[in-house]
Parts: sequence; C-alpha cells; structure tokens
Amino acid sequence: MGLVRALSPFVQRYWGHVLIGIICAICSTAATAAIPQILGAAVDELNVRGVIFDDLLRYAGLLLAAAVCDGVMRYGLRRSIGGASYLIETDMREAMFRRLLTLDQAFYSENHTGDLMARVTNDLSAVRTFLGPGMFSLIGAVLLIVASAALMLARNALLATLVLLLLPATAVLFVVIGGRMRAIYRTVQDQFGEISTRAQENFSGIRTIKAYAQEAAEVREFRAANERYRTSNVRYVLLSGLLWPLISVVLGAVGAMVLLVGGRFVAEGTMTVGDLVLFNIYLAQLGWPMIALGWTVDLYQQASASMVRISELLQRRPTVADPPESLPAPPIAGAIEFRDVGIRFQRSLAHATAGTVAVHDDRDWVLRHVSFSVPQGTSLAIVGATGIGKTTLVNLLARVRDPDEGQVLVDGRDVRVLPLANLRRAIGYVPQDTFLFSVPLKENVTFGKPDAEIDAIERALRISRLSNDLIQFPNGIETLIGERGVTLSGGQKQRTAIARAVLRDPAILVLDDALSSVDAHTAAEILAELRNVMRGRTSLIIAQRIATVKDADQVIVLHAGGIAEQGTHRDLLRSNGLYAAMYRRELIQSELEGEVGVQH
Amino acid sequence: MTHDDEILGRAYDSRLMRRLGVFIAPYWRPIVLTLLLMTLSALIELAPPFLVKQAIDGPIASKDVNGLIPIFAWYVMALLGSFALRYVQTSIIQSTSQHIMVDIRMRLFEHIQQMSLAFFDRNPVGRLITRITNDVNTLNEFMTQGTVALLGDVVRFVFVVITMFALNWRLALIVALIFPVLIVTTAVFQRVMRRIFREVRRALAQVNAFLNEQITGVLVTQLFNREQQSRARFDVLSNAYQDAQFRSLIAYAVFFPVVGFLSAVSMALLLNLGGLVVLDGLATIGLLIAFLQYADQAFQPIRQIAERYNTLQSAMASSERIFGILDTPADVQDAPQTIPLAQPVRGEIEFRDVVFGYNPSEPVLRGVSFRIPAGQSVAVVGATGAGKSSLVSLMARFYDIQQGSITLDGIDIKQIAQTELRRHIGAVPQDPTCFSGTIASNIRMHDLTISDEQVQRAAAIANAAPFIERLPGGYDYDVRERGANLSVGQRQLLAFARAIAFNPEVLLILDEATSSVDTATEALMQAALVQLLHGRTSIVIAHRLSTIRHVDRILVLHQGRLVEDGSHEELLAQRGRYYRLYQQQFAEQATPSPPSAV
Repeated sequence: MGLVRALSPFVQRYWGHVLIGIICAICSTAATAAIPQILGAAVDELNVRGVIFDDLLRYAGLLLAAAVCDGVMRYGLRRSIGGASYLIETDMREAMFRRLLTLDQAFYSENHTGDLMARVTNDLSAVRTFLGPGMFSLIGAVLLIVASAALMLARNALLATLVLLLLPATAVLFVVIGGRMRAIYRTVQDQFGEISTRAQENFSGIRTIKAYAQEAAEVREFRAANERYRTSNVRYVLLSGLLWPLISVVLGAVGAMVLLVGGRFVAEGTMTVGDLVLFNIYLAQLGWPMIALGWTVDLYQQASASMVRISELLQRRPTVADPPESLPAPPIAGAIEFRDVGIRFQRSLAHATAGTVAVHDDRDWVLRHVSFSVPQGTSLAIVGATGIGKTTLVNLLARVRDPDEGQVLVDGRDVRVLPLANLRRAIGYVPQDTFLFSVPLKENVTFGKPDAEIDAIERALRISRLSNDLIQFPNGIETLIGERGVTLSGGQKQRTAIARAVLRDPAILVLDDALSSVDAHTAAEILAELRNVMRGRTSLIIAQRIATVKDADQVIVLHAGGIAEQGTHRDLLRSNGLYAAMYRRELIQSELEGEVGVQH
Repeated sequence: MTHDDEILGRAYDSRLMRRLGVFIAPYWRPIVLTLLLMTLSALIELAPPFLVKQAIDGPIASKDVNGLIPIFAWYVMALLGSFALRYVQTSIIQSTSQHIMVDIRMRLFEHIQQMSLAFFDRNPVGRLITRITNDVNTLNEFMTQGTVALLGDVVRFVFVVITMFALNWRLALIVALIFPVLIVTTAVFQRVMRRIFREVRRALAQVNAFLNEQITGVLVTQLFNREQQSRARFDVLSNAYQDAQFRSLIAYAVFFPVVGFLSAVSMALLLNLGGLVVLDGLATIGLLIAFLQYADQAFQPIRQIAERYNTLQSAMASSERIFGILDTPADVQDAPQTIPLAQPVRGEIEFRDVVFGYNPSEPVLRGVSFRIPAGQSVAVVGATGAGKSSLVSLMARFYDIQQGSITLDGIDIKQIAQTELRRHIGAVPQDPTCFSGTIASNIRMHDLTISDEQVQRAAAIANAAPFIERLPGGYDYDVRERGANLSVGQRQLLAFARAIAFNPEVLLILDEATSSVDTATEALMQAALVQLLHGRTSIVIAHRLSTIRHVDRILVLHQGRLVEDGSHEELLAQRGRYYRLYQQQFAEQATPSPPSAV
C-alpha cells in the first residue's frame, strides 16, 4: 500500500471531492441496479397478467426516472473524482517542478533530462489515470457488483451463485493477459526507443554521414532496427488481440449458462420469464464493472511504479542548500579564498560508464590541497589541461557543488553559511557551455536583472560586442532566440552570456572559457572592455590562451590534481615551469614563422 | 478503455487517402481477407439475441426443458465462432499494418537521407524525429482503428438494423426512433471534443517545452536567482493545462451519462410501445427481449464510429506532414547520367565564377574562381561571414551552387555521383561528430572493407591511438550517443582518424572551434593535421597560425570574393588584407602582448 501512503498528502486536500463522489456513486448504483428489476417486473406482467397500458406507462416512467437519476449521479461522480484527480495532478506537477528547481548538479548529472521529463509527464499521468478514471470505475464497479449480487441472490440464489462464480473470470483474464502484455510492451517500447535514437543520431550527424557517403549503410541499419521493432510488436498485438475477444467469450458463456439453467427453471416453473430477463440484464450491466476491476488492478500497478519514481524526485533533497540558520547578510564585497580545497570524482553517469577501470584509489581526487586567495578587486586566471578540473573548481564558488574537503570563503566567511540567493546574486557567471532560453534576446540578457534600465542593457551589449550584431536580427533586441526564432552562432551565444553576467553588475565575475567561440580580435576587445568594468571587482578567469590570462593579477596552473604553479604572468615565466612551457609552445609557432617580433 | 484520453475528431481528405492507398495496395490480399472475416463475424454476432428469443418463445414457453439443449449448443458455437473470427481478423490486420508502417517509415528515412544539408538547416532534428516516430504511429492507428475497424462498425450497424427490420418492422421502428438523437448527440460531442483536445494538446506541449528547457538550463536559473519567476511561469502553464483537461472531463461527464440515458429511453420505448405490439399479438415476448439486446448492439457502433473519426482526423494531419517531407524534392540530386571519375583520382579542383547563398537572394560567395592543382594544400582565411565554410560545403556538394561551376579532375561535380564524389573528398566537419557504437566503428563507420589494422594505423597517424589505448576496452570502448563520454579534443582526433582511414584524394577541413582544447591536446591535433595534409589536395579553413604554416598557399576571402591568393610570405609582403587579418587574428596567438595594433 506504498502508493496510498505516498499519495495521501496530495489526496488529503480533496477529501470533500471524494466524499461527494462516493455519495454520487451510491445513488447511481441504486438507480442502475433498479433498472433490471423494473424491466423484469414489466416483462412478467406482460407475460403473465396481460398488461394494462397504464401499467406499461408506469414502468416506462420508473425506468426513465431511474435513468435520469443514474445519469445525473454519474455526472457527479466523474466530475468530483475526475476533477479531484486533475487538481491533484496539478499539485503534484508543481511540487515536482519546485523540487527540480532546488536540486543541484549532482542530481542532474545522475538523471537524464528525458528521464526527468518522463517523471513529470508520463509517470504523473499514470498516477492521475489511476486516481481519476481508475478510482471512479472502481468505486462504481464495486458498488454495482455488490448491489447486483445481493439483488440476484434475493431473486434466485442458485442462478446468482453461478453467475457470480463465473463472471470474475473476466477480471482474472484481464490481470493475467494484461500483465503479459505489459512485459512485452516494455520490449516494444525499448525497440521503439532504439528507432528514435538511431534517427536522432543520424539526423544530427548527417553532415558526417554524407561526407563519408554512409547513407546506404545507415538505411540498412535503420531497416534492421525497424524489423526488430515490428517482430516484437507483432508478438504484442497477437496477445492484445486475444484479450477482448476472450473476455466477450467469457461474458457470452455466462449468458449461455444463464439461458440454459435459467430457462430450465422457467420451464420448470420455479422462475418467471421476467426473472430471466432480469438476470440477462444484470449480466449485461456487470460485464464492464468486472473488466473495470481488472483494469484498476492494472492501473494500480502502473501507478505504483510511477509513484515510486515521482516520490524519488519529491523526496530528494539538494546537497547544496541554504544554511539552517542564515546569518544576517551584509552585502558581498568579493574577497575570495580557497582553503585547502579537495574535490572528489563524482559518481555521475558519465564516470560510471567510463568504466570501473578508471577508479583507482589514488585517482579518487580531482583536485586536492588547493589554496589561493583573491583579494577584493583583483583577478585570478586559472590554466591547465582539458579535464583537469578547472570548471569544477570555480563552480565551488557559486556552490554549484560543495568541496569534499576544505573551505571556500567569500569575504572571510564559508560560502556554506551564506544565504544561497545572496551569494549567487553577487556572482556574474559565464559558463563554459552557454545556455540561452528560447525567449527574446532582451530577456536572455536581463535574465539575472529583470528590472534593468535600457541604458544598462545597452552598456552590457556594448561591452560584450553584441550591439553590432543586433542589426542582423529581424527584431533587434526583441528577437526570439532558439528553435522557433533565430539561431545564434557560438560566438553570439557566448557574448549574450557575457552581457547577461555583466548586466548583473556583480561583485565577482566568473568567466569559464567564456571567449572560446569568439574570434581572437573580438575577444581582445571584450577583454579590454571587461577590464574597465571589472575595476574594483573580483574576477576568476579560466582560459586556454596566454593572451586571455596574462593580464590577470595572479595566475594558477593546475596540474596533476593540484596547483602546480602560482604567481603573476612574469613570475611564472621567470620560474620556467609548466606555464612557461605553455607560453613557449605558443611562441614557437610564431618563431617558426620568423615574422613577428616578441615583445617580452 | 481510457475514455478520458480518447480524442474525437473528424477529417477525410480523398487526396491524402489516395496517396496512403499506394502504401496499402501491396497488402490488398490480407486486407480483403480481414474485411471478409469481419463481415462473417458481424453476421454470427447477430445469432445470440435471436437464440434467446427462440429459447423463450420455444422450449421455455412450452416448458420443454430438453429443447433448450440444442439452442444452448448453437449459442456456444456462435460465441466460439465469433471469437475465432475476431481473433484471426485482428491478428491479420495488426501484422499487416506493422508491415505497412515499416514501409512508410523506411520510405521516409530513405527520402530524408537523400536530402541536402539545406533541408536539415530548415528542419530541426526534433521535427524530423516526430515525423518518423509519432506521425508514423498515428498512421498505424489509422490503419487498425481508422479504416478497417470503422468499416467493421458500419457493417455491424447495418446488419443489426437489417435484422431488426426483417424480424419485426414495428419493433425495429421503435428502436430506430432513438438513432437520430444518438447520432446528433455523438456528432455534437465529437465536435466539442475536437476543440477541447486541441487546447489540451497545445497546453501540454507548452508545459513540456517549458519543462524541458528549464531542466536543461536549471543551473543558469539557479545561478541567476530566477527560481521564483520560473515557478510563477510554470504555475501559469500548468493551470492552463489543468483548465483544458477539466473542460474535457466535463464534456465526457456529460456525454456518457447522456448516452446511458438515451439507451434507457430506448428501453422504455420498447417496453411501452413494444409492449403494446406484444399485447396486440404482433410480436412475441421473446422477440421483445431479443430487441432489447439488438438495440444495444446497434448503439455500440454508433458510439465507436464517433471515436474513430478522431483517429481519422489525426491520421490525416500526420499523413499531411509525412507527405510534406516526401514531396520535398532532393535539391541536390545525381545527374541522370553521371560521369565516372578517371582512376586514379588526382584531386585537381577548380572553382569557376561560383555564386552561392544559403538563401539565393543573399549570396555568400559572389563569383569566386581559383584552381588547386593536385596535391596542393590551401588555407582559406577571412573574417567571420566571408564565406569560408561555404567553400567546403560546396566542394563536398552538400549544397548546389547558383552560378558557375566546380570541377574535380576537370569534371563538373554535378556530373559525378554523390557517393563517388564523397568517396574521394573527405570532409572533416567543424563540430566533430561521434556516433554510439565503438571507437572502431566510429573510425570505419559502416565500411567493413576497412580492416582493424587500417583502423589502428589511422588512429596512430591521427595521434588518437594513445588515448584510445588508455580507454577501457580500447578500440571496443563503448561510445555513447553523440560521443557524450569523449572530450571535444578526443572527438576531434577521432574525426581525423576517420578521415585518414577513408584515405580520400581531396581533403576538406574545418579547423575551427578547437580553442576549448588545451595546448597539449592541440599540439597532438596539429601534428595529426600535418599528417593529413601530406601529399593530398586539401582545403583548410584555418583559424590557427600553425595550420597556415603548413599549407602551400593561402586564399583570402572577403565579403564573398577572393581578394588575395598566394603564399604566406607573398601575401605578408603585399601588406594587404591578409597582412591585416594576420595581425588581427593570428599575431595575437603568437605574441602574448595585447593587440595594441588594433
């Protein structure tokens, strides 16, 4: 009953709806169960007494009254229970979304977007189907079965027992075949997933496929995937094609038994023709409720599985969260200190699939014993090879994740005791992978400062050298970005991200390889502008090129899991280590040209 | 079963139906068989109510207990017969429909494979995937639910009506009284539902699109303190979705009870008017009871026909979209008579007055002419938007030019079969693409004539071997979708290895977007590049000084025109555009000083 427990906090608010639904269900059942009684009595009178027209009118009137009552009550049942199911679905969806917004990157690296989407859409819809159609079918079915059983037993115990023993076979069939169907369906879904993955890879990699003239081979592979899908799908439809005909055979067989046994009773005079009609109609009325029992079992199983996945999300707590009691927060000035910071490899999906081989004890740490301090208003550049952990290191500052060891301090206080919102508001962050939302360009730029003045926006656009690009866009700054709007080039995206960060007027600016897609000339211009902007503010800059880092107040070189070198550009050149080597490598290229004078 | 999720609608387009017919025609035999079986089962299903009548009026009325046995036997036989027929019929139509789906999907996929890159520029991947998955699936429902089952419902309805009139026209008329009301009710309901469901779908699509974007960009939302706004926006979308769903709930909550009421009305009418008919001796009591069941049998198809219309409607919409793609002609097509390249291919390239624009009214190249002798390596430089990458795409004939000609070994590339052209022209794209599979399969693609040794040699030449050998499994290392578990640098090296393995005579390289690679990796890539260029006609879109150093000749593009052409030294000596470009773009890489000159 894990499902019930997990659902109860959400259902509690709507007990009123449920209560009204149950009352409606009881009334509707009473009306439904009365109809065969009326018909049976009418037939008997017709058959036995030779009826008066007035009686027939009375029966018809009763029948219609019962039908109207039934209809109104059914409406009430669907409306209240079904309505509650949608309200609960909305509550749950919003709760899940709120949770998603608070969860940290550790969570997101474990879960694919598609999987999270599925939880908020498909899983939620499975739970809602159980709560709505599932519940009102179940309530209606149980009540009707109980009422009909009682009435049939009262009329003819032997025939009623026969019917009640045979009918549940439909529910059993439904559960058994339904279960098998679901198992096969999973395979079908997987194979369908394969088709869509293949198509996806093909379309995204079409340039390469065409460049190597691989189209025919791709078509062959795609056909094979399609054939696999078809084969298992045929297995599925052969089974599912069995379900409904089988159920109607069972229903028909029960009907035949009633005709045979009941007919005998009538012939023997122990039962009236009206009773036979009554049984026949109950039988017709009970077909769907019996199936509904099986169906709700099926829905319950699906909803349970889905609710587990939903609860997983709802019960997940972010590892990066506000401190329990936030200290009064003075404005952040921007002095940064990393004190003996260590970061472990995260057991993310990427690492898990990269193989267990890579997980040696000594390689547990990405970085260790990293200490540096960046006084307020100065800049620090970080260089090092791809994958050494530069991004991970600067991510500690905005608490994208927390260090596994040591402390990160801002203005002398551990970032973990600062209110998260205050900390992040003080940071202008330009991530390595630019993410823009499919909203107008302006909204992307003002993302961190929705109330920005137009002057400030224009200044940010100028600094990021985006102003010149605006004329290319159909609606200037109001141009919609993304699939339904304009696709920006890599450089334009990065520059939008820079404008977005600059507009916040942050105490601390973090540039994570933020100019990689911007051409060198523009990058130099942006850097020069940024230097003006950042006067008096603290900045952390990750870069691959000497040109970007050489003007920083200090440079650290990450190598082999820690800081290998630290100092100014000149210091590091003088110490003749990794940084100097990196510098020379860039220099050699120009020396080979023999054209350009070196100015240092 | 899931009443609340069924979409009702109505649509029929004879033009689309005819076109779908082309896919269905090869399977006419199983389809005709299905229709026959369906007719047969519809006939058999008429028997049970009639047998009930026989039993009541015959053995039961005459108190002949044993007389019930043969009727019971007939009844059971009718049941089993209809079960067998229904099952066989469902199986045949479902398997046939699966075949047809594979046909349509393959046709679509093959067609998309022939499209030029311009097509892929216009159509986002997501849209194409939807065509190949959802839209084809909708057609499957159309086949199984829409056409055959719809016909079945019509047949069933017609049979029941005929039977009723044949048995007793008075009672039949009484039942028929309710048909117009039922038909009007379903028609109205179905119209209302169509509108509501469109709203539901639109609202859901908005929720999903927003959700997807928010999940992908959650870090940005968090870092920029935008949670509050995101929540508010999501609540608005979520409530709009709920409202739409609520409207559909109300519509169903009204419709089903109304239908139930109508069937009660017909029972009351039968009882009342039919009772009079029985009293007058114009019908038996058994027949009246049989009619109660026939009335039910006639109602069912009417209700279902209404639901089938929805399937028809979405099928029409889907097939419209599918044909929309199939009707897009391949803009880059093989000439009717292709000219084979003389073997061995030398790799001489000539551009003659080439004019090209992705949008013909905005030319990117405005009359470019040059000749590259076999074996020469050429770098193309120019500011962003000068048309450099277009040159590469045109040489591989990813797009067709609007004016002028491009020749390989003196033959216009439009006269060469695309597969042959591309076998001799290797293009290493700017964004190195990887596919799920193994490292080896990423190097040789599907070309099994490339042996394991060749794969390894190519990897060694491309400097990819060291990192590959460190991976668990080496060349069999499991590469995930789009190479997600490889770094950009590793993917670039793999792309080089791939080019080497295919050993083309002409090589096109887009040497951009590698600035996020550290210097050590870059040194490896540089060395690999030199290996690649060696002895091959090559066009490199250079963004790095060191690349330029290795080429024989440099072409400078400016605003779609070739403005300078010569060796590095010559061009620098000219002190023209190349000199300035060099100062701007490349000098900085060489000198760590600020670009004071600019």
